[in-house]
Amino acid sequence: MTAVISPKKEKFIIPIGPQHPALKEPGHFEFAVDGEIVTEATVRLGYVHRGIEKGAEARNWTQNLYLVERICGICSHIHALTYALGVEVLAEVEVPPRAQAIRVLVAELERIHSHLLWFGVAAHEAGFDTLFMYSWRDRETIMDILEALTGNRVNYSANVLGGVKFDISDEQRKVILDGLDFLEKRTHHYLDVATSDGMFLQRTRGIGITRLQDAQRLGIVGPTARASGVMRDVRVDAPYAAYDMFPINIVVETAGDLEARFVVRLKELFESFRLVREILDNLPPGDLQAKRFPRRIKPGEVISRVEAPRGEVFYYIRSNGSDMPERVKVRTPTLCNMASVLSLAVGHHLADMPMLLVGIDPCFSCNDRGVSICSSQGEHGRWTWERLRQFGIDYYANKV
Amino acid sequence: MKIATMFSDIWQSLWQRPVTQKYPFERKEAPDRLRGKLHWNPENCTGCALCNKDCPANAIEVITIDKKEKRFVMRYHLDRCTYCAQCVESCRFSCIELSDKEWELASTHKQPFTVYYGNEDDLNEFMAKFTQPESEPTPQ
Amino acid sequence: MDSVVNVAALLVFPGGLFVIAAGLFYEWIDRKIIARLQNRLGPRWFQPFADTVKLLAKEEIVPERVNPILFVALPLTALAGALTAALYVPMAGLKPAFSFPGDLIVTVYMLSLLTLCTGLAGATTRDRFSLVGATRTLTQLFAYEAPFLLALLGPAIAAGSWQISEITAYTETHVWILVTQPIGFIVALIGLMGKLELPPFDSPEAETEIVAGALTEYSGRGLAIFHLGKGVELVIGLTLITSFYLGGLSNPLAFVLKTVGLLVVLAALQSLMTRLRIDQTVGLWWRYGALLVLVQWLILFVIQIV
Repeated sequence: MTAVISPKKEKFIIPIGPQHPALKEPGHFEFAVDGEIVTEATVRLGYVHRGIEKGAEARNWTQNLYLVERICGICSHIHALTYALGVEVLAEVEVPPRAQAIRVLVAELERIHSHLLWFGVAAHEAGFDTLFMYSWRDRETIMDILEALTGNRVNYSANVLGGVKFDISDEQRKVILDGLDFLEKRTHHYLDVATSDGMFLQRTRGIGITRLQDAQRLGIVGPTARASGVMRDVRVDAPYAAYDMFPINIVVETAGDLEARFVVRLKELFESFRLVREILDNLPPGDLQAKRFPRRIKPGEVISRVEAPRGEVFYYIRSNGSDMPERVKVRTPTLCNMASVLSLAVGHHLADMPMLLVGIDPCFSCNDRGVSICSSQGEHGRWTWERLRQFGIDYYANKV
Repeated sequence: MKIATMFSDIWQSLWQRPVTQKYPFERKEAPDRLRGKLHWNPENCTGCALCNKDCPANAIEVITIDKKEKRFVMRYHLDRCTYCAQCVESCRFSCIELSDKEWELASTHKQPFTVYYGNEDDLNEFMAKFTQPESEPTPQ
Repeated sequence: MDSVVNVAALLVFPGGLFVIAAGLFYEWIDRKIIARLQNRLGPRWFQPFADTVKLLAKEEIVPERVNPILFVALPLTALAGALTAALYVPMAGLKPAFSFPGDLIVTVYMLSLLTLCTGLAGATTRDRFSLVGATRTLTQLFAYEAPFLLALLGPAIAAGSWQISEITAYTETHVWILVTQPIGFIVALIGLMGKLELPPFDSPEAETEIVAGALTEYSGRGLAIFHLGKGVELVIGLTLITSFYLGGLSNPLAFVLKTVGLLVVLAALQSLMTRLRIDQTVGLWWRYGALLVLVQWLILFVIQIV
């Protein structure tokens, strides 16, 4: 890596990624700096493109449930849930209400774990390692709950097509409630730290302000958008699973800076605690799975939307009547929010870049999916396999 | 505007033991629902191979010895298994279960990752038939 | 005979081996206490030693387009500066090995040599993280250096001498200067944190922004030597502050108790604070640090004249 500084035109570019301590996953950012101030920002994604959508076309409906669960490690249940909800609509299968409630329960527990994880990472990026260690210590409570409830710490596999795998026993109910009491106490403390610690606020208050109209123009989703005053939450706008039975209150802040993003996510935790308790108290009776789920699904297409911890997850699923989907298209919230990082970066300090980036709670593996090639001749569209191969051969032949 | 808001936490930590678990020396008991190594009971198996078809990782192979006599052998690939328990759901005769005790499955050899289940006679017959038990993974 | 004693003073005690070992040990105490404050386990006692041995055994990679002599010489100069400074301070509660009027200034600037070398080491390489790190290191040097020096000169004025051994003799016989000059103590303590680039003043080596800052391109021996220099600086800084502000160091026991006590305070401060941006660091030092220490001086002069 070399840097050539000349007084004229050339810019001093700080590369962040693909391998960098600030990033837990590979992505490449280039920040042109003037001293400590960022003057230009570009991003390159696609380092962890795994071909999951193509892979989904070669597996049957059941196998895909577990394939899409692995799109994201942190919000794995959400992806499986979105897929399952979509496929159930396609197959015209009615899911029992008890199963839907348990799905929502796991989704909310997952949201708690995801937000606490984000809180720790954000504190680490700000250089506040003590807060990082404590929030992750407390997150372990929710991980243990999820493990006891579903059987795994990360990929819960709670869903099957047409229902869920497990019920909630009284013993587990007590474990969950005890864990939530502890976490609620801790979250009050963290909210106090995030909104009153003078040194921490120096790094968050007034940094990266996204105005309401910018948030709407850039199409930002999830807690990042709600921190700018956008009233948008799929759980409220288009209730899925059991959210019509157990409605949530939307959490909105108007400041739009990093502090507001902290506040929104922490306050959403209280909302999740409340919802989990409510579900445990009013779990509807009934079966856990639909009686029968067809192996082949008649032709049709469906759109499925779910509010992940990071924002809206969008699935488009098309069936051609066989036991495999013809197309599964996934759009994750990180892709929608990436534009906000680039537009905010200019004018901020280099030291704020990791904070701004983490402010959207990015998940690179989730969003690296589609590849569109724009050639230098301004040519867009699909390339054939032969052409792509020839391009690769020519590229490396001409490179030397 | 306050400073040192985390003081209460560090003060408490000074007087309590670290929460870090010294894993290989201290083991926490796994929850009952933990999904560990697969176990197969050949008694009720009808050889429908739904577990085989639904396995997202192709970790299960149900091999038919004699269809009329309902004699089957299962070859289970521990290293491919994602422990999702779909096979448990798919099996209508409750032949499959995932252990909550066997979860420390790492090994320095490849060999223990291929596990055979079945009645002793069936297994012997199967082994005799196929001198090379390690087959290539079936291409998807 | 004299020359044998002098060589021993340079290589074994109080310079050389002793202070290097003490530096590694104090680094372990620091890491362990921070870990415990964060409810973690922390490293075992030999971890810093093991790290150093491992680094020394590794290949040192000299990057392209770097002056190799400078690249190798800078860490050595940094360590040499830090070790030289150890000769003038009352290490382990004993009398300094060497002493002359005005050695306080020499000691403080020997300590700055390490920071200066770190900055230069970053600037010689062409790595972009190193360059930003070097800029930040040197910017920070200009921020804390003046207030830190002024804070150390407070006790010197009270003692009426700029010779470390005489100041120590004065502080041992009088009431702790911490009581009479509390502002100076605070500035000196926080100045030491700035000097050692400990949180919250670790923006020159902020890993989430610029990887390892000025030392990004260093590996193997060079990195180990810089690391040792940091440890030595930690010990000397603690010794200076305890002997000036905490009633001197009359014996080895007092040395261990007081310096470790001060290290606990440092660790607690580190674990309670968020990293400051470099502009915030500079602002903090020149707006508050310098001002505070000047107020301290004003009070001192007023009392002396009256």
